[in-house]
Amino acid sequence: MTEFLQFLITGLSVGMAYALISLGFVLVWKSSSVANLALGQLVLLSSWFTYGMLVQAGFPLWLGFPLVIIFALFLGWVIERFALRPLIAQPILSLITVTLGLAYFIEGIVNFVWPWSVDALPRLFPIEPIHIGGAVVSQQYIWVAVISLIIFGLLTLFFRYHRMGIAMRATADDQLAVQACGIPVTRIFSMSWMFACVVAAIGGILISSIGGITHGLVETGLKAFSVVILGGLDSFAGAIIAGPIIGLSESFGGGYLTPYLWAGVKDIIPFVIIIIVMVIKPYGLFGEERIERI
Amino acid sequence: MSQPCGTRNYKYSEDMAILRTKTHWVLFVGLLVLLFTAPLYFSNYWLGVCNLIGITLIAAIGLNILVGYCGQLSIGHAGFIAVGAYTTAILTNRLELPFLVGLICAGLVAGFIGLIFGMPSVRVKGFYLAITTIASQFIIIWVINHWSLTGGFLGIKVPYASIGGLVFRSESSQFYLIMIIAALCTFFAKNLARTKVGRAFVAIRDNDLAAQVMGVNLFYYKMLAFFIGCFFAGIAGALLAHWIGFLNTEQFSLTESILYIGMIIIGGLGTTLGPILGVVFIRVLQQLLTVEFAPFLEKSFTMLPAGFASGVTPMIFGLVIVLFLILEPRGIAHRWALFKAAYRLWPFSY
Repeated sequence: MTEFLQFLITGLSVGMAYALISLGFVLVWKSSSVANLALGQLVLLSSWFTYGMLVQAGFPLWLGFPLVIIFALFLGWVIERFALRPLIAQPILSLITVTLGLAYFIEGIVNFVWPWSVDALPRLFPIEPIHIGGAVVSQQYIWVAVISLIIFGLLTLFFRYHRMGIAMRATADDQLAVQACGIPVTRIFSMSWMFACVVAAIGGILISSIGGITHGLVETGLKAFSVVILGGLDSFAGAIIAGPIIGLSESFGGGYLTPYLWAGVKDIIPFVIIIIVMVIKPYGLFGEERIERI
Repeated sequence: MSQPCGTRNYKYSEDMAILRTKTHWVLFVGLLVLLFTAPLYFSNYWLGVCNLIGITLIAAIGLNILVGYCGQLSIGHAGFIAVGAYTTAILTNRLELPFLVGLICAGLVAGFIGLIFGMPSVRVKGFYLAITTIASQFIIIWVINHWSLTGGFLGIKVPYASIGGLVFRSESSQFYLIMIIAALCTFFAKNLARTKVGRAFVAIRDNDLAAQVMGVNLFYYKMLAFFIGCFFAGIAGALLAHWIGFLNTEQFSLTESILYIGMIIIGGLGTTLGPILGVVFIRVLQQLLTVEFAPFLEKSFTMLPAGFASGVTPMIFGLVIVLFLILEPRGIAHRWALFKAAYRLWPFSY
């Protein structure tokens, strides 16, 4: 039972961080129908940048963290302006592969600047373990879940009440109509990329504050795709619900299946879920099913 | 297709011929002679590069059939190459079967694994398919890493290729083996595109619903595309295994899969010439960057950061892929076609 509780709590909080990263995907997909496959590399790059600010430059948290956010905003703007905007209205193959090219490029930057490839972030949260009903859980996990929830709340409020948020939702709904209303669609695209980079960065920092910065963060970013697929590509609610599901199945599967299967089965579960969802219900739990016309 | 002035067709067979003028034949025979005498004037080092190019070409042709002709985006190609490589490694090393059996089985096994992971393509496409294939890559590599039969993280040794008593030990003998298979694959791909199957692939790529309405069996042809593409990947993997002599999963990473997509895009999707140009471009660039250029710069400028050599290659590759997509999405093959047309029509460009 204690084991069960422990898996439950770690799974939930890691799942929340996955959901946060996958929001970075959903934001871009909803507004501009671009599939951002460079998500894992964005997570990696922003985690390393945080490392650079906090450890290498030695900035305190109150200065370093805003700098990371500014960096993520800038990164999103650059990507949208120089890689995606020239490709507006190109076939979907180009849109997907351009993000793959970006992924390659970002990985090069990371290798270039931080060639030692494994390091730890300074401690962001207290690590004294706390006891919940017999289970001993590191406090970090609770913090990660709480921060993720707060950011979800902020984003939801933003999309509901802020002018820009409403404009972004409208763009997702119908680009042509939005353009006719005088909303600059290209600016919306660029905004959505900036937002996406920021949430991916925060998700990445949360994950790497637990597990350290490794090249496995790319895989974490890819695991976020299983959240996206399970929840449905264009659904915020889907991402928030599917994130904990993936996190839970990962931690339970890792905990209970490892004795029967090979070690490391944990890392493969999200990918198996992707395949299963694809075969059974490709548009996910809450995704909009697209009906095509010829 | 534009032909040189004065080329007329009197029979259907003439109309269908790939090589149609005397100049074509002269150039073609000249190319073959040049290709198969290459070991005479290349050093061992550059022969090794040529072998890598040949192996990559076989895999890229398969990917081009899948992505370029049939429009099914697959980002797990390195995984399928790994399946082929490990199949032949297990058959020839653990069971000591002959090389040819290993080669054919590698293609077939990779093809069948491709069928399994290609199954979702019947219902989904575009981004969904891309994600499925990425997932398949991770699952394949994970299984290889953990299965005792494959040697896991320690890797597995592969004996030299041999047919009958002939053992392909030196770079030049392997060059002939690889180039003959690569030439056969190119010939197959060129002709496949002109058959009923090839036309069905193109119809599916352009609009799969319209193709279905016109009577193209989507399930059959998508599965066929996956099978052919992954079969080629398996063959390439088998050759790679026998060429390197040692396998571990580091050689089949996701970045390698992305690089394959980059190659066929840079070369030109859906053309026969495309994969050849793209593969030569990327592999030669890779060789120059990692072996010649980066160490040279690192030696001459000591203040460069330590990650320069390992970081600059992916950066340039990523940049090249993005730039090609933005500036010339139809690849080098399209530029070459434009050049040929301009050359033929010169000086009257209409």
